Amino acid sequence: MEVKILSAKFDIKDAHKIEVAKEHGAYSTLDKLFSMTSAEVIEEVKSSGLRGRGGAGFPTGVKWSFLPKDTGKPVYLAVNSDESEPATFKDRYILVKDPHMMIEGIIICSYAIGSHDTYIYIRGEYTTQFKALQAAIEEAYEAGYLGDTVAGNNFKLNVTVHRGAGAYICGEETALLESIEGKKGQPRSKPPFPAVAGLYGCPTIINNVQTIASLPFILNSGADAYKAYGTEKSSGTHLFGISGHVEKPGMYELPLGLPLLEVIEKVAGGVLNGRKLKGIIPGGSSTPVLLPDEAKTVTLDYESMAAHKTMFGSGGIVVLDETVDIVELVKNLIDFYHHESCGQCTPCREGLGWMLKIVKKILSGKGKMDDVDLLRELCDNIEMKTVCVLSAACTMPVRSYLDKFRHEFEAYVTTEDFSAAEAKEE
Amino acid sequence: MAEKIKLFVNGVEVEVEAKKNLIDAISAVGIEIPHLCYHPALGADGNCRMCLVGIEDGRPPLVPACKTPAREGMKVLLDAEHIKKIQHDVMELELINHPIDCPVCDQAGECKLQDYYMSYDQKESRMTVPQVTKGKKLDFGSGVIHDQERCVVCGRCVRFCRQITKTGELGAINRSDDTRINIFPGRPLNNRYALNVVDLCPVGAMTSSDFRFKQRVWFLKKAPGICHGCAKGCNITIDHNRQKYEDDIIYRFRPLLNKQVNGYFICDEGRLSYKQENDGRLIEARLSTQPRSIDEILTASTKEIDRAEKIVISLSPNCSLEQMITIKALSEKLGATLTGYSEGYIKQDDGDDFLIQDDKSANRAGLQLLEIDNSRDTFTGAIREADLLINFNNNLLLSFAEKEISKLLKGTKVITVTSHDTPFTTMADMAIPVASFSEYAGTVVNSDNILQSFGKAITKNIDLDDISGIAARLGSPLQTPGERFAALQQIISALNGFEPDNIPAEGLKLKESEAANVTA
Amino acid sequence: MSDRSQLISTGKPFQYDKERDAEFERLVKRYPTRESMILPSLWLIQEQEGWVSQEAIAYAADRIGTFASKVYEAATFYTMYHLHPMGENHICICRTLSCWLRGKQEIVDYLETKIGIKPGQISEDGKFSLEEVECLGHCGTAPVVQVNGEFHEDMDVDKLKSLLATLL
Repeated sequence: MEVKILSAKFDIKDAHKIEVAKEHGAYSTLDKLFSMTSAEVIEEVKSSGLRGRGGAGFPTGVKWSFLPKDTGKPVYLAVNSDESEPATFKDRYILVKDPHMMIEGIIICSYAIGSHDTYIYIRGEYTTQFKALQAAIEEAYEAGYLGDTVAGNNFKLNVTVHRGAGAYICGEETALLESIEGKKGQPRSKPPFPAVAGLYGCPTIINNVQTIASLPFILNSGADAYKAYGTEKSSGTHLFGISGHVEKPGMYELPLGLPLLEVIEKVAGGVLNGRKLKGIIPGGSSTPVLLPDEAKTVTLDYESMAAHKTMFGSGGIVVLDETVDIVELVKNLIDFYHHESCGQCTPCREGLGWMLKIVKKILSGKGKMDDVDLLRELCDNIEMKTVCVLSAACTMPVRSYLDKFRHEFEAYVTTEDFSAAEAKEE
Repeated sequence: MAEKIKLFVNGVEVEVEAKKNLIDAISAVGIEIPHLCYHPALGADGNCRMCLVGIEDGRPPLVPACKTPAREGMKVLLDAEHIKKIQHDVMELELINHPIDCPVCDQAGECKLQDYYMSYDQKESRMTVPQVTKGKKLDFGSGVIHDQERCVVCGRCVRFCRQITKTGELGAINRSDDTRINIFPGRPLNNRYALNVVDLCPVGAMTSSDFRFKQRVWFLKKAPGICHGCAKGCNITIDHNRQKYEDDIIYRFRPLLNKQVNGYFICDEGRLSYKQENDGRLIEARLSTQPRSIDEILTASTKEIDRAEKIVISLSPNCSLEQMITIKALSEKLGATLTGYSEGYIKQDDGDDFLIQDDKSANRAGLQLLEIDNSRDTFTGAIREADLLINFNNNLLLSFAEKEISKLLKGTKVITVTSHDTPFTTMADMAIPVASFSEYAGTVVNSDNILQSFGKAITKNIDLDDISGIAARLGSPLQTPGERFAALQQIISALNGFEPDNIPAEGLKLKESEAANVTA
Repeated sequence: MSDRSQLISTGKPFQYDKERDAEFERLVKRYPTRESMILPSLWLIQEQEGWVSQEAIAYAADRIGTFASKVYEAATFYTMYHLHPMGENHICICRTLSCWLRGKQEIVDYLETKIGIKPGQISEDGKFSLEEVECLGHCGTAPVVQVNGEFHEDMDVDKLKSLLATLL
């Protein structure tokens, strides 16, 4: 089931080094690139059907075409390498194993959108990855792929790596821009959209690492070759991360559209220790959970996920086996989103902390049925009332657990055995 | 005139100004959209989420009103059930970590949380888990005390210090529900407008150490006024109260919106100048240092005037136009030399490019309009030859050293008509107390040539005459307010068509050539 | 998130060493505004001192030419900036979803008993500090531990034992 498009060089020794990467085709699209017009490049990417791989799945070429023309302002490219959504761990493989594929993608994108300055925003926790990326960029400068004349062409491009410092929210594209500008990562209200007024108030395109890294293949082999993978509406391949209770967790490149359960079984080796499947988180921690029965008809593409009232997200699949205490899991999730709330909007700032305390109260055995109802109600009260979707990233999955596993919550509030419950009190 | 558009609020068509955001556009027709973080002087931030409104057929269907421009044909929903629920839900979340210590909170009575709770919430608390605890009673400097627990993190104070004063002392520290406002250690509020954050704060998080615990706001009577602290003429609200068996006391000045003059703000010095209205006042007439009745001193003064050969009349640049013209008429009648010399009221290089002016007087432009001499030479030349000085509230000790003025005044009788008991008052042979600016009505012209009128805000237990009244009793031909205003209309053409009480609240912008329009 | 507003003063003025000074000047040219240097300048401080003091924040603000309140905001918002000295070996254990599912608690428990401190604490000899952190992006090789920036994947108690041995 696995394919090797983005991951083609992942198994090659030292492919992160420019000379090895070049032997295997890195930067080979540039001649073609500079023989094309920027409009032709955008058209090729549009027709490839490539969608943003950060989680939202917005068509990449369409996003680029939102840039206003001739504003007299510089156009910026910001590469989102903040990958912080729990269960997401794909982009760092690109950063470490094949950074030149991404740099080549940056050149392609920059040429297409007329940008001469790229900022790569990498999460602060990625320490070794930062070093690898920085080294690759220096190599690219030395080899003339970056700088005043990219690959000898009349095209200037500078790439700067900007390190985050421990804030999930900076993966939200406008928070990311704020962070590059030196501010707290607090998302901006839209409109205006970044394509119109982004970094330093200038037109800006923000693309995920994997999205950018997909460009060399698309340009080299053509849109049709890319579309040969995946489904009609969800074309291409994706670096899926499979984690949790499976035999062979890890990162796998797969075409979109494969059946979820088959992938878990055949690619990831099935549920750990032959235990029973309890649920599947399909696209990162913020996506609503699927019950085993629901999962039967799910395929790994944007449309199937939406049809099953969940989301493709970042392609981070988490398998939950029968031993998982859903209430504990919900606490773990709310804890995360509460910790990461930027503190800007009232509902998210105040509400997630309240939800966390309620779930702790339930776990402590001191909860009442009212608390379960309140937790459920708060999901509705908080969601979509805020500048960005961080609060929804918490309430959407929490609602799904409350609705699909309500009995587990009720068990905590109706149990007679307080000693077991109290043991969990913090 | 601003462009008008039509839109619908709850299905009712209203006409509003185009280009404004929904909060401002719709509030102009009397419909409130609740909001905490938005402030017209600071722009929209969009963090409080109280102003979320529905837009029928809109994409998206739910928008923050503060960030949404009013557009033709828009169908705004405020009273739909789902919008009312959002307003309630957001209020509930605003309040879960709020201490609800209204009984000891200075903001109680003028608190947006209280108001909005009554308008949009009115439910019992469902908060059964421990609240977030934060810092209390933090001294932020410049007389600002902060309570982090009462704070709703709207960020108005932070934006004020960054956008308006550009001093940036405040920050919103941490994230999540631990977010709190703080100063950087060792770098407290250090700007001359800092106390505006107390007014800007929609809740009781920012309090003024000067006003804290002095008075419940619902006991305060509010009257509009003009600050006399400098030549800017900032509009203020005078908050005052007469407690049982006590005198009418001013508790604070607050800025009053005048877009043409001061916008939404005033400086701290002006704000705290209310104290000078309460304290250091002269309330009795004096012969030398001995208390006498006002009538007695007025009679004695008239005798001195009759006896005098050469009279100098000096007046304060704080006098209203009405006072100035009454004094001028008196001066002309007596053949006196009239001088408005008051250089000491000007503090060179003290002003800034915002509100604060070098000139610490309220109506120097009035002196020029009425062509009253301002020069030091005229003053000193005339005073050397004079045997009587009638001084109307001009604190000459600001313009002269004490020795200097004593020498100049040697052999000159001094009658001082004064609101305050200053060292100069004690130098005078006779002193007559008068009302200070919060206690009379008048008109002043500011440094931008804007004429503003103000009413009598305070009535003291001893309701002193103002300078015009005393000048009239000393013989000025302008005996009544009507006569004075008519005389001003002769000089200031912009006043034609107005009565003293219907001058527009934002003032009248005078032409630069107004002083040349003198007809007499 | 817990309150990070209490800064620690060293009582001594801060400044960059030669290397960081040069790095600051190199980086500042990469951005159109000096305020973009707020995060990089804090990183440089932490690289040099291991943590970020009150004086260092003031230094960064003045060097950049911005309000200290803005650097203070960033230093407290971004949780990777240490606002007090850490252990010689700073151990971060991922506490989020996949690591939690794959037994991060065993790792925490072992470290707690072995080193004798809880997450958020520093050992008395200053050799270790522990911190539970949010998702480190190594979910496929969970549970993951990061020691002084280096990742250690597929952790279990045995592996931890040998890792600790190299640090002691």
